[in-house]
Amino acid sequence: MITFKDVEISYDDFVAVKNLNFEVKEGEFFTFLGPSGCGKTTTLRALVGFNKPSAGKIYLDGRDITDLPTEQRDIKMVFQSYALFPTMTVFENIAFGLKVKKVKKEEINQRVREIAKKMELSEKQLERKVSELSGGQQQRVAIARALVTNPKILVLDEPLSNLDAKLRIQLRNELKHLQKTFGITTIYVTHDQEEALTLSDRIAVFNNGEIEQIGTPQEIYENSSTEFVCNFIGDINKITDLVKANPQKFTLLDLNNNKEFYSRIESFKVVKNDLSNLSETEVAFEGKIIDSEYYGFYTKYSVDLGSQVIQVILTERINVESQKITVVINQNKILQYA
Amino acid sequence: MRKGSYMDVIKGRFLKQNFGKILIAIFISWFILSFLIVPNIKIIYDTFFGTGTFSIESIQKLVRSERAIRSIFNSIVLAVILSVTVNIVGILIVLLLNYFDIKGSKILKLGFYTTLIYSGVALNFGYKLVYGENGLITKLLMEIFPNLNPSWFSGLFAVAFVMTFACTSNHVLFLTSAIHSIDFHTVEAAQNLGASQFSIIRKIVLPTLKPTIFALTILTFLSGLGAVSAPLVFGGNEFETITPMILTFARSATSKNLATVLALFLGLITITVLTFFLRNEAKGNYISISKTKMKLKKQKITNKTANIIMHIIAYVLFAIYTIPVLTIIVFSFTNSKAISTGQITLDSFTLKNYATTFSSVNQLKPYLVSLTYGAVASLLVVIFCLICAYLMRKYRNGLTKTLDYLLMIPWFLPSTLIAIGLIITYNVQNPLVFNRILTGTIWILLIGYILTKIPFTIRICKSAFFGISDEIEEAARNLGSKTIYTFIKVILPIIIPTVAGVYALNLIHILPDYDLSVFLYHPLYQPLGVTIMNATKNTVTGDTKALILVYTVILMVINTLIMYVVYGKLGFNRKGNDIK
Repeated sequence: MITFKDVEISYDDFVAVKNLNFEVKEGEFFTFLGPSGCGKTTTLRALVGFNKPSAGKIYLDGRDITDLPTEQRDIKMVFQSYALFPTMTVFENIAFGLKVKKVKKEEINQRVREIAKKMELSEKQLERKVSELSGGQQQRVAIARALVTNPKILVLDEPLSNLDAKLRIQLRNELKHLQKTFGITTIYVTHDQEEALTLSDRIAVFNNGEIEQIGTPQEIYENSSTEFVCNFIGDINKITDLVKANPQKFTLLDLNNNKEFYSRIESFKVVKNDLSNLSETEVAFEGKIIDSEYYGFYTKYSVDLGSQVIQVILTERINVESQKITVVINQNKILQYA
Repeated sequence: MRKGSYMDVIKGRFLKQNFGKILIAIFISWFILSFLIVPNIKIIYDTFFGTGTFSIESIQKLVRSERAIRSIFNSIVLAVILSVTVNIVGILIVLLLNYFDIKGSKILKLGFYTTLIYSGVALNFGYKLVYGENGLITKLLMEIFPNLNPSWFSGLFAVAFVMTFACTSNHVLFLTSAIHSIDFHTVEAAQNLGASQFSIIRKIVLPTLKPTIFALTILTFLSGLGAVSAPLVFGGNEFETITPMILTFARSATSKNLATVLALFLGLITITVLTFFLRNEAKGNYISISKTKMKLKKQKITNKTANIIMHIIAYVLFAIYTIPVLTIIVFSFTNSKAISTGQITLDSFTLKNYATTFSSVNQLKPYLVSLTYGAVASLLVVIFCLICAYLMRKYRNGLTKTLDYLLMIPWFLPSTLIAIGLIITYNVQNPLVFNRILTGTIWILLIGYILTKIPFTIRICKSAFFGISDEIEEAARNLGSKTIYTFIKVILPIIIPTVAGVYALNLIHILPDYDLSVFLYHPLYQPLGVTIMNATKNTVTGDTKALILVYTVILMVINTLIMYVVYGKLGFNRKGNDIK
């Protein structure tokens, strides 16, 4: 449906993004994930028509839209700030795109009320000024305004970043539900890995203006193709020093090249002195708990393994004071990067 | 051939798509060239090439004129004195109203804010009624000191006194806004560390206000330098200043070139002072590092003696500010005999002045003239600046940057110079204005008003546009809206309160204007400022004065209403708009 071919966007001498080559399928929830300044919003704005690529082409359903103005693209955007028109009511905000298209008054009325109902905006709220709504309601208005024109693609630029943690999770779920209901192709930009993992069908991880990896959330998390992706997604332990200090134990790893080794913190097991059940791929180390962080239903412990301090998570509480524990690592779950 | 026709199609399409934009660009370029650039070049040309070849004869003539040199010296002395006295009074009234807990501060505020509702010639008229030959204070003083000269209130002292209290309106607007931006936690922190009340003012409050005070000092200096009406009314023969001198020289054909040179000289000093200001503006600014700001709280003066002294100062200032206003209001309800002699009895009171004024259109003519000029000029300048500011926001490039600088030209020039420039450029047929003569027509004053209001209007319009997030406009575009539709339906409604505010403020500044009007007005359409100024002359009859009193009261009522709507309802300047 959407194709980026060798796209590069630069401002004067500064290249913001380069070598962009990817496709987004119809009905897909596709996320651009990356840290601030990595080029994800720049790419999104090029898709919407606010930035012009300095090289390459963008196609929508096989049609070259690279030079098409935003109003002719049928790609509607929900902005980070929502960009609601402050002098208009909720109704007028949602109806704006239809009025511009010169849709008949009765039809505007019907379509606005229909979408408002789906977005759980009441009749009363439709007559209010947007400034009188809560953050969550404003977000719904912004999405309704974009969806009411039946666009081919919906793009959302960090729409949850202005909200508090609880509302963010609630709206995240609503967003997913909405996307499934409307079946609309959605491009989502975020720097929040949790949002990306929970919402997306596929994720493109951006770094320094380039895409490092594209894949399903599971692929990205479990088989991070680069050291950056592995570090950026989830909690990770760098265990290079531990591996190099104990080469005789890590028999399945390639220790010849100057590689870096990582392991997700949840793949560490803690056992109580019984090592009889270890599989062939597992190796055990004795360590001392030196610190803990309490997170409610689980606790994160810092364990000194001699050559390296690592973190493990446990749902049961352990007395921190110089407690000795045995940590088991599965070699198959170790990620290695040259 | 085929290539040629293809190019023609492209050209045609470009012209069709950009026709409106091209028209706007042509109009803006023509306006700037005709009224901002050419008149100033003409002044310089006439000064140095007036005789056809390069000569500094007119400058030599100016240097030889003792009267002209003395006027320059007087203007500079006045500007320096005012820079000190206006700051003392201005800072004092802002502290008395906002920082100290003074009893009756709401009443005091009404008094100190009177300069916002009447200024320039109207204010001078009020002071003349109080301190002039038949003034209330003069009469009171003569009873105490029978040998006092009735014309005691004239010269440098009188001009400086009147202007000190007339020029505090900028302090009231901008210093009040600045003092409220102080984080009260910093005051509490100083108290907590043992600082006394007055050392907190000296070491915490005033340094924070320094950038604003600096800007206000520059404005005051320039007001003193270019003063017109106060020196004319109170200066007398022994204290003449530059602008009234330019006015005198401009009226005679033989000394017209002297007026041009003096205006150029005034412009050069203004440019020098403003350049110095802009260079040093950034240095004095500080960046607030407050994480959680606390609103300013009024302080009770703990030292009893200091408290009494501050209360006395507050009420003396109140009296100085309010007596002229009250005098105008009271005398507007008295007969011409009381107005001429300054003596009121119970029989003196009458509504006749108001009845006469409102009974004939002729009586209201100066008012209607100024109102029409004000309304039209304010509307045109707002439309012009809205378009320019929108272009500057939309297209951020070298061209719009140049436009920005060019529109600031009137900010650097005294209105006298602008007026002289227009007069000498358009007193002959000029192709720039389609071979017409503008000098002496009703149009030249309208152009003058528009020019002088451009810098203030463009600054406010720009800050209003730049306050709107880019995403708002992008959202409209993304929903299919074209530029003009977005501007009218989305952008304009957001900035309407600011635009209305600028319109109203421009209108109330133009209504009583004298400084520019006196050079450019059409004799058949005498504006209000000129009419009021004429009434300050001792030769004017009581009936004429009565009419002017009514004009001034109406002016004050209109200004009060506009100020209430602009600063109260619309919240203009609540976030501290730019000065000037």
